[in-house]
Amino acid sequence: MIEFHLDGRSGVAPYLQLIHQVRQALRLGLLSEGDQLPKVKDVAAGLAINPNTVLKAYRELEYEGLAAARPGIGTFVTGTLAGASLAAHGPLRQELRRWLARARRAGLDDESIEALFASTFRSASEEGIA
Amino acid sequence: MIWLTWRQARGQAVTAAAALAVFAVLLAVTGPHLASLYAASGITSCHGGTPCDTAASHFLSRLAGTSPYPVVYLLGIALILVVPAIIGMFWGAPLIARELETRTFTLAWNQSITRTRWLAVKLAATGLAAMAITEALSLTYAWWADPIGKARDLAASVPGLAHPFTGGPLSSWVFATSGITPLGYAAFAFTLGTAAGALIRRTVPAMAITLAIFAAVQVAMPLWIRPHLIPPERTVVSGPSFFESAGLSVGTLQATTVPGQPSAWILSSGAINAAGQPVSTIPAPCLSSSAGAVGKGAPPNAGACMASRGIREAITYQPASRYWPLQWIETAIFLALALALAGCCFWRTGRRRTRRAQSPSATPRQDTVAASPRRGSRA
Amino acid sequence: MSAVIETSGLGKRYRRLWALADCTLSIPAGHVVGLVGPNGAGKTTLLNLAVGLIAPTAGTIEVLGGAPAAGQAQLARVGFLAQDAPVYAGLSVADHLRLGARLNPGWDAGLARGRVGRLDLDPGQKAGTLSGGQRAQLALTLAVAKRPELLVLDEPVASLDPLARREFLADLMEAVAEQDLSVVLSSHLVADLERVCDYLIVLLGSRVRVAGPVDELLATHHLLTGPYRDPGTLPAGQQVITASHTDVQTTLLVRTTGQILDPAWTVSEVSLEDLVLAYMSQATGRRDRGGRRHLEVRK
Repeated sequence: MIEFHLDGRSGVAPYLQLIHQVRQALRLGLLSEGDQLPKVKDVAAGLAINPNTVLKAYRELEYEGLAAARPGIGTFVTGTLAGASLAAHGPLRQELRRWLARARRAGLDDESIEALFASTFRSASEEGIA
Repeated sequence: MIWLTWRQARGQAVTAAAALAVFAVLLAVTGPHLASLYAASGITSCHGGTPCDTAASHFLSRLAGTSPYPVVYLLGIALILVVPAIIGMFWGAPLIARELETRTFTLAWNQSITRTRWLAVKLAATGLAAMAITEALSLTYAWWADPIGKARDLAASVPGLAHPFTGGPLSSWVFATSGITPLGYAAFAFTLGTAAGALIRRTVPAMAITLAIFAAVQVAMPLWIRPHLIPPERTVVSGPSFFESAGLSVGTLQATTVPGQPSAWILSSGAINAAGQPVSTIPAPCLSSSAGAVGKGAPPNAGACMASRGIREAITYQPASRYWPLQWIETAIFLALALALAGCCFWRTGRRRTRRAQSPSATPRQDTVAASPRRGSRA
Repeated sequence: MSAVIETSGLGKRYRRLWALADCTLSIPAGHVVGLVGPNGAGKTTLLNLAVGLIAPTAGTIEVLGGAPAAGQAQLARVGFLAQDAPVYAGLSVADHLRLGARLNPGWDAGLARGRVGRLDLDPGQKAGTLSGGQRAQLALTLAVAKRPELLVLDEPVASLDPLARREFLADLMEAVAEQDLSVVLSSHLVADLERVCDYLIVLLGSRVRVAGPVDELLATHHLLTGPYRDPGTLPAGQQVITASHTDVQTTLLVRTTGQILDPAWTVSEVSLEDLVLAYMSQATGRRDRGGRRHLEVRK
């Protein structure tokens, strides 16, 4: 079972953070179909947040087709996000490592690498949309 | 709720029980010997008249010199007088005041029990316990002091009674510590304490006020109120031997006995002349050298001399037979006061209570705007 | 959804001072309601009125459809935790549970025992020797184990250290999730409430300044920055909460249900804390004297 955490200073609403973490877990294969999400009561107690916030997140996941609530038992994962892409993670990760090594050899520091990646990612996404 | 009342009062109850147990042991240890002394004094075997009186008087004189009986006698009286005050201070005053001071009322009054029921159970349970303890103490002591009381009644007409056993049943000490008056005092003192606590909302000041008022009432009662609960009797003692029969002494002209009324409670007395006007001193002619030494045993001359001038003794008194009627009336008065004070408690713990009188919150004021809240437009 | 607390023109006066005035609220069930305001604003008065410790001077109040503290049944439905969590110093923890069991017909002994066990409280320990956090937890146990429908808490974490505060709120949220409780809790710090409350009431100067679900409040309040502008020239649907001007720039906090269409404004979100501060500074008669900023609206 996954565990949630909250970043109080990120400016992102708590329920969105929870949704994001579930989606992230699905993508990384930490959660698969049929797994149970943590109980509302436990999340509320563990993070000291309003249970309605957790319910809101779970309802949103239900609406997106990623989870389904079984009354009296809990909320379970019904969909996936990883799909076949999970298989591609391994080789992609290796390529990324190699690229990072090259960037460092070229003399880029952490900030430059992040800036380079972010701007390329953004422009590539925009081209993808257009 | 009864459990909670008991649990909160447990410490006080245990202390009271321990103290009374000690006293009870003292009584149990000395009681049988006192009874045997009484049996050996010959009072039980006499059949009335002067021999009984003398035997009784001798018994009491010997007892006065035999320790520890005088001490235990006085201790018992002191205890019964003081116990209601202690109950008022330590059981009554904290009952409501402590809950208000420590703010535990916010806990108590939000359980599933109404405020009225909460107070009713606390007052009734603790109050009845207080009355029971005081009355038990009084009855136990009465059992122990029974021989003394009987002897005193017999020896009432004998002059020269030994201290500390003087005083008929209507005298202040004895009346207040026998019969059922201790019940009334306990109820009154207890409800006085709780009412003081409910009004003042602080335990220690409430204890002080309770003590002050209770003491004042206990002093005022025998002085000004009890004498008039039933209109007192008046009598005039006249005749050549009025001096002796009224038990006068040359010094004060105050009567010490009422002829035909042994153990009467004399409220006031004074010599009056034939016209009914008060006479404050013995006329000089009656104090002639032939009258001899002053003192209680004044020669018959002084008395006869005054009688021949028409001087008599007027006495206002309550006869001893009025003991029980006075007991009932006085107890009823105190019980009525207790009920009124209890009603006062109920009224005061109603929802008109203001919050402001409580101790302020520990956190400091943060916003000066709040210091001057807007006055409501509704008047 | 039915209302847990319904007030109409509610007011309470002590001698000549109105501790609470003109309070009209309809608090829905199923929420954790945060009551925010500085000390002396009337929070404790409102909560005391809700649990029936005091009676109103003006107006009416209805709690769970009944009069506060009207009888045994009403008292059983509302749990209360007063400021500083008073407990009986001479009674032990177990005695307190016995108190709850005897005085509440709806007492859940298993729940109470379970909580005490999880909190690691020694049942034989006298309540007077407990720490502040433990006292608060004991008081919460007493309030929760009688299975109320509504829980009212007066500044429950004000005097607790950060760890105790967190544990208390976590426990409270667990109880809310388990028992489907409605909660009204007050605080003079917004940070305490941000995570746990989904309904907000701001009280200032004995009056309610704003009340509503947190989501809705955050969605309808916006921070507008732009060139200098007289707040009176804004469209009708936009209510200005605070305004701050320099000689060239204007910053406004507005409340509106519609869109901000004017391109001159830069529109940004407001955090709950800033929203509360804005209402609190919108105080009795304070006016902006040109050039002076009231409050820090940007983190």
